[in-house]
Amino acid sequence: MSRIANTARSLDPIRLEIIRNGLRSIADETFVALMKSAYSTNIKERRDHSTAICDARGRLVVQADASLPVHLASMTGLMRCLLAKHGGAIQPGDVFVANDPHDAGGTHLPDINMAVPVFSGRRLLGFMCNIAHHADVGGSAPGSMAGGMSEIYQEGLRLPVIRLFRRGVLQQDLLDLILLNVRVPEERRGDYYAQIAACRLGERRLAEMTARHGAAMLIAAFDEIIARTARRMRAAVAALPDGAYVCEDVMDDDGLGTVDIPIKLRIEIAGERVRFDFTGTAKQVSGNINVTFNATQASVCYALKALLDPEVPNNQGVLDLPEIVVEKGSLLDAAFPAPVAARANTCQRIIDVIIGALAPAVPQHAVAAANGANTTAVFSGLDPRRGRHYVYLETLGGGFGGRAERDGKDGVQVHITNTSNLPVEAIESEYPLLVESYSLVEDSGGPGRCRGGMGLRRVIRPVGHDCLFNGAGERFAHRPWGIFGGGPGAPGRFLHVTREGRSVPLATKPAGIIVREGEKIVVESPGAGGYGAAAERSPAALALDRESGKFSEAYLARHYGTAKVDRAAE
Amino acid sequence: MAWLVGVDVGGTFTDFFAYDDATHSVRLYKRPSTPGNPAAAIAEGLGEMRRAFGIAPAAVARVCHGTTVATNALIQRRGGKVAVITTKGFRDLLEIGRQTRPHMYSLQIDHPEALVPRQRRFEVEERITAGPSVLIPLDPDSVARAVEAVRASGAEACAVCLLFSFLDGRHERGVGEALARANGGLYVSLSSEVQPEFREYERFSTAVLNAYLQPVVARYVAFLEKELARDVPSAKIGIYQSSGGLMSPATARSFPIRTALSGPAAGAVGAIATARKAKRPNIITLDMGGTSADIALIRNYEADVRFDRDVAGFPIRLPMVDIHTIGAGGGSIAWFDRDGLLKVGPLSAGAEPGPACYGRGGTEGTVTDANLVLGRLSERGLIGGRMRLDRAAAAAALAPLAERLSYPIERVARGIIEIVVANMVRAIRTVSVERGHDPRAYCLLPFGGAGPLHASAVARSLGIREFVVPLAPGLLCAQGLIASDLKEDFVRSLRIPAADPHLSEIRAHVAELARDAQRWFTHERTAAGARTLHLSLDMRYVGQNFELRVPIGRGAGGKPPAVPSVNGLRRQFFLVHDRHYGFHSETDPVEIINIRLTASAAVSRLRDVKGPTRRRRAAPAEHRLVWFAGARPVRTPVYERAALAAGQLLVGPAIIEQLDSTTVLHPGDRLRVDSLLNLCVEVGP
Repeated sequence: MSRIANTARSLDPIRLEIIRNGLRSIADETFVALMKSAYSTNIKERRDHSTAICDARGRLVVQADASLPVHLASMTGLMRCLLAKHGGAIQPGDVFVANDPHDAGGTHLPDINMAVPVFSGRRLLGFMCNIAHHADVGGSAPGSMAGGMSEIYQEGLRLPVIRLFRRGVLQQDLLDLILLNVRVPEERRGDYYAQIAACRLGERRLAEMTARHGAAMLIAAFDEIIARTARRMRAAVAALPDGAYVCEDVMDDDGLGTVDIPIKLRIEIAGERVRFDFTGTAKQVSGNINVTFNATQASVCYALKALLDPEVPNNQGVLDLPEIVVEKGSLLDAAFPAPVAARANTCQRIIDVIIGALAPAVPQHAVAAANGANTTAVFSGLDPRRGRHYVYLETLGGGFGGRAERDGKDGVQVHITNTSNLPVEAIESEYPLLVESYSLVEDSGGPGRCRGGMGLRRVIRPVGHDCLFNGAGERFAHRPWGIFGGGPGAPGRFLHVTREGRSVPLATKPAGIIVREGEKIVVESPGAGGYGAAAERSPAALALDRESGKFSEAYLARHYGTAKVDRAAE
Repeated sequence: MAWLVGVDVGGTFTDFFAYDDATHSVRLYKRPSTPGNPAAAIAEGLGEMRRAFGIAPAAVARVCHGTTVATNALIQRRGGKVAVITTKGFRDLLEIGRQTRPHMYSLQIDHPEALVPRQRRFEVEERITAGPSVLIPLDPDSVARAVEAVRASGAEACAVCLLFSFLDGRHERGVGEALARANGGLYVSLSSEVQPEFREYERFSTAVLNAYLQPVVARYVAFLEKELARDVPSAKIGIYQSSGGLMSPATARSFPIRTALSGPAAGAVGAIATARKAKRPNIITLDMGGTSADIALIRNYEADVRFDRDVAGFPIRLPMVDIHTIGAGGGSIAWFDRDGLLKVGPLSAGAEPGPACYGRGGTEGTVTDANLVLGRLSERGLIGGRMRLDRAAAAAALAPLAERLSYPIERVARGIIEIVVANMVRAIRTVSVERGHDPRAYCLLPFGGAGPLHASAVARSLGIREFVVPLAPGLLCAQGLIASDLKEDFVRSLRIPAADPHLSEIRAHVAELARDAQRWFTHERTAAGARTLHLSLDMRYVGQNFELRVPIGRGAGGKPPAVPSVNGLRRQFFLVHDRHYGFHSETDPVEIINIRLTASAAVSRLRDVKGPTRRRRAAPAEHRLVWFAGARPVRTPVYERAALAAGQLLVGPAIIEQLDSTTVLHPGDRLRVDSLLNLCVEVGP
């Protein structure tokens, strides 16, 4: 009969797993609490928020499972600025708030970042943090996301890292100042309180865990969680062939006249180190597709995680892995006063470029270029039935890149975003609009052994009134490329169809288009590139392409050859 | 004499729970399942049981059956060949779904492919709008073309999925009639009949899944009816549905999708029956079996119902008992992840090969192996000693884990239990804390083979003070089947402001639903006194995208529940909104999205089975060494459940063994056997 050594107080892999389980529970519980008590549709329905626990040095320890990839690095951006500015003077009961991308580690203004320090006695244990996308943060257009602006001032109210509470006391003057500068202030007050309540809930839960395990044990667990993930990621990098990998792509435009905006990347892998060098990328632009460093870092870490180890926990061990070189004042590390609201389009493209570069190193995991956009369509006007203004905003998925073993998924949100569509029955019940069709775009998936995914098409017309259309597209000019011999997918486009049935192509980022009753707008998101040479596509797959009607005879003959298509049909 | 028999078909065993509602006696029977044709085990087992207990064929009045045929057909993709007819312009909608991907960081994992490939999805010219009004009338030529295309495709079943059919089902019915005229043998599912609710993708998906299951379930039900008619000719058959009630075989044939999540639901109903008798209105159920644990929260003897679930990756929208399932069971395998942390599950050794200690070829250490190594399970094993457990094999399976950690085997075993307990605790927090309920105000009700083994540790972690182990924890699902009511849900999906001018409209809809319900009561020949109607409304603030289910009232004796004033409706909504979101606004406009009327008719009422009361202390059957939290094993008394009489008290540590489960009392736990022979355990400090 053996005796169990009485070392239960030490940090073994069993206890560590139990503590990590408890920390994840806290992150998830605060995620749900925030979602339930917030007012903004973005938070409640689209879950554009995240919650996390950081340690006393500001390192990310645990992030809620449902958090969006684009928020991966935002939290540490806030922590870096918070510690630099207030490091020595953090008190129990303080509540820190910030959103500014240039001054406070944010990624765009609608994301309000919050952190509450958690103490054990007088010892700072760490921070409960969250990020939430508010429906409005002021600025020149409702929603604080519109294009056409050239300075961050126009995009909304800028908050450096400030204390909204000092030692538990609300700084009413500050809150009044903030709320005076946003639309529908009563709702935004609700969003702030929801974020504060979520932090405080997490603070209580951490205190319970401290009582159970002890502060020293928790702090040791924070270190160990990060260290183990870092080791795991380094091992994954070490398994890649050493060398330099390059790729570049070109963004269509910024909506303010700058076109063909290059993103260049050179990745160097040496042992367990990996370096991302974006030198040569375009300077920052006037339009709002600029990205601040944290969003670039989030994109890099998303891509690494997706390629090397999708199940790895989100913590500092992932964030610290890549060395990132990017020129200040460039598109990917934009300097004040660059506008950044539509950063998501650029983040999608950074990811395409990373995957394109690393494809030779990880051919089994790499995918061809995806639709590379956050295709946005906004219809607004005066509802003739209710006499009220309405704004209907939707972002469309598109093609996902061809993969080593399977075709790219058709019509889906890719990479940095994963929000759902609005049902046709919901659109038509809420707004004076009619959806004529919702479908995949024929011939839009790039050819290849595994073809690219198809884009989406929505055809919408106003009912009983004239409405206004605004859009934001990417990959309308520069198509999503294939890899390992695969061909490119179709570009996206916006069309304005007149009463006579004439289709007029619109710009990539059209604004203020008047759509009269009887006219309609066609929104087509891009497809995606194929994987492997078209000649290697199996006859069975080709037969299905044809039988399903997803591809026309002419397209199949052009890309796969008449003889092969005929054989497949037999 | 009238016997009611509940039959629960599991992966390994088919359980029978028979109850005589004249004498209130209970008979239990268990036999191996016949996975190839589950109905065979039912028919044969019923005969075996009758002979074993001397029950005459004519004495069996009702057989209540929970079937997994639909669930398995979905998981294994063995449904029928289906075609779809939909509105012109929307052929791809079923494939696009909600345009999301199932895993945020995986480039390889997709939602499953649409069950109906594009080449079997056909369009008809028609359009109804939100009014509802007909924008484009149903075009007969396009219908004729679509019907011919369905015939040519060789489909066995066809789902008809038209936009806004939840408001106006005439076009769908028109297409359905044309299909029936052209091909009488074709199974047809109309989305407006399967579940006439708002949001096209979920409604279409539900209709497609229903069509996919129709051929399979129809064959199964026909076989079952034929077999049972031969053996027990006077027995009525009740098929269990996911909403927690029974339906007739005819209804099951039309709407097989309603059985898809019925398995765990029966356990929740059995748990509610136990809770009612034990007078514990608020419980959290923990049904832990071989591969998974099902968790449900019961408030005031009622399980929450939810309407949106995924089955095998496809969304279905139907009323279902709200059950949270995680991969934590006796067969869950312990392993190291890439961070070097010890994990348990969700991979399971299942019933075959099973845990290493079963001696059937399993080599990986599981939760059951860990329990055996710690002495919490007996080597004499499960099912009353019919299946021995091999401790040496269990220790050998845990040895590689112990070596890697340089720990004694027992410490690793304890770690495995701690981790599986932590996983269950996390899941229970999801259904309680995250939905606004404090688990400390609840009693834990563990069942399934492995629930009572871990209940004490789970309760302690959550701050729950008491757990109650029912008399037959391994047969609670079969018991739940005969404690269930006949049930049918009626719904009107619409959009009405919760405002005074609309009250009469709301009341008119409720009256109309009540008339539908009366017709159903009559059709099912239910006793007038046993009828109940529950009214609930799905409500939301204007502008919200998701609605909340708000219970409004119930009517006994089949009478429609009273609809209160608009203010009364709003107040009920505010209460629910507070619980879910933590706030409400008195002034914002509120609207109603669905009116739901649930009709139920009690079939039987299980009476209490009272045990004899004895004050004498029970004598342990044996003592053995069991590891708990301490550094050394503790000499622990082991009792047979059957030897514990009502009123008896025990203080842990103790082990209580019975045919279908083992209960562990940790040091300091205090047990009292109540008058119904439930084990009521106060969790020690």
